[in-house]
Amino acid sequence: MGELAVSATAEDELVSMGLGSCVGVALVDRDRTVAGLAHVMLPSANAAYSAPAKFADRAVPTLLASIERLGAQREQMVAVLAGGAQMFTGGKTSVGNLDLGARNEAAVRTALAELGVPVCAAATGGDRGRTVRVRVGEARVSVKEAGGVEVSLWHPHFHADDLVETP
Amino acid sequence: MITRYDEQQLDALCELASIGSGTAATALAQMLGRPVELTVPRALALPLADALDAVGEPDAMVASVVLPVAGDAELVVLLLFSYDCAANLCELLGVEPRSDIGDSALGEIGNVLGASAIGAFAQMTGLALAPEPPHVLYDMLGAVVASLLTATAAELDFALVLDATLTIEEAESGLSFLLLPTVGGADELLGRLGFEGGE
Repeated sequence: MGELAVSATAEDELVSMGLGSCVGVALVDRDRTVAGLAHVMLPSANAAYSAPAKFADRAVPTLLASIERLGAQREQMVAVLAGGAQMFTGGKTSVGNLDLGARNEAAVRTALAELGVPVCAAATGGDRGRTVRVRVGEARVSVKEAGGVEVSLWHPHFHADDLVETP
Repeated sequence: MITRYDEQQLDALCELASIGSGTAATALAQMLGRPVELTVPRALALPLADALDAVGEPDAMVASVVLPVAGDAELVVLLLFSYDCAANLCELLGVEPRSDIGDSALGEIGNVLGASAIGAFAQMTGLALAPEPPHVLYDMLGAVVASLLTATAAELDFALVLDATLTIEEAESGLSFLLLPTVGGADELLGRLGFEGGE
């Protein structure tokens, strides 16, 4: 949680397990074996204290810079998002009322737009937890919902029609 | 803000939690009308990432009851049951697990276990603590915990973990309590126990 990882090793798999209102941000270079994944917990930084990827407004530029250092090219880069669920629905208490998942996703999308990186697929919203995996060699991003099976979310040969966009 | 705890502080927190679990067992026995034993072989105060590891895999499916606590110190008590344990408890109460009424029953059990533990904390610390209605959630462990923390604690990456064994009529099952102090909550609790906040 609140961490990020990058890799240029084909055999590597980057994983964020159990994303709830957190958002997993995967950045993949279409043409090169290099990818990164950040586990964003909150929309924006409000204090000096922070894990590297905890806040969307810091995590996205940091992730991008990290995979660029491994040779990724901005023009070939795509983003895939997973998470941002509203875990506590219908609650009357403070726990249930903060639509944090949606705010996290919005903050991530804003940060990506500022850097000119398109979001090519997303499995976000809803009220279930998710696990996201990035297989670096295939540049494939897959997601598994709580109680569900793992499905491919994006890979370089995906047709536009296949894209999974959940509301 | 407290970010680190010394051994003495941790011991004080763990001691408090152990006392609470005895009260919780008595309360649950009354509710189920059966002998209930609740032992706490392990009490740990850990940074959040380690606390998660201690409880299970982040994508393991758990039945969870979330009890927000308001009052002098804001806390969240999170009870984690295995699916089997949750189903067993529902069965003992004669309701269908994972139905509306089953969730309601599990929430009530969580309420009984959590609220009596909170009562013990309140008594020992002199803090007024009021549990709020429970939320029941079946989902991935990491998703439940992280979503809770970000919604409440924001910057306090710390949790008190109690690994408990719940024995009802000789059937044992594992149960975990996570006590998640929100910002200021842990300071308040430690302050009442005679400790100053850490660095």
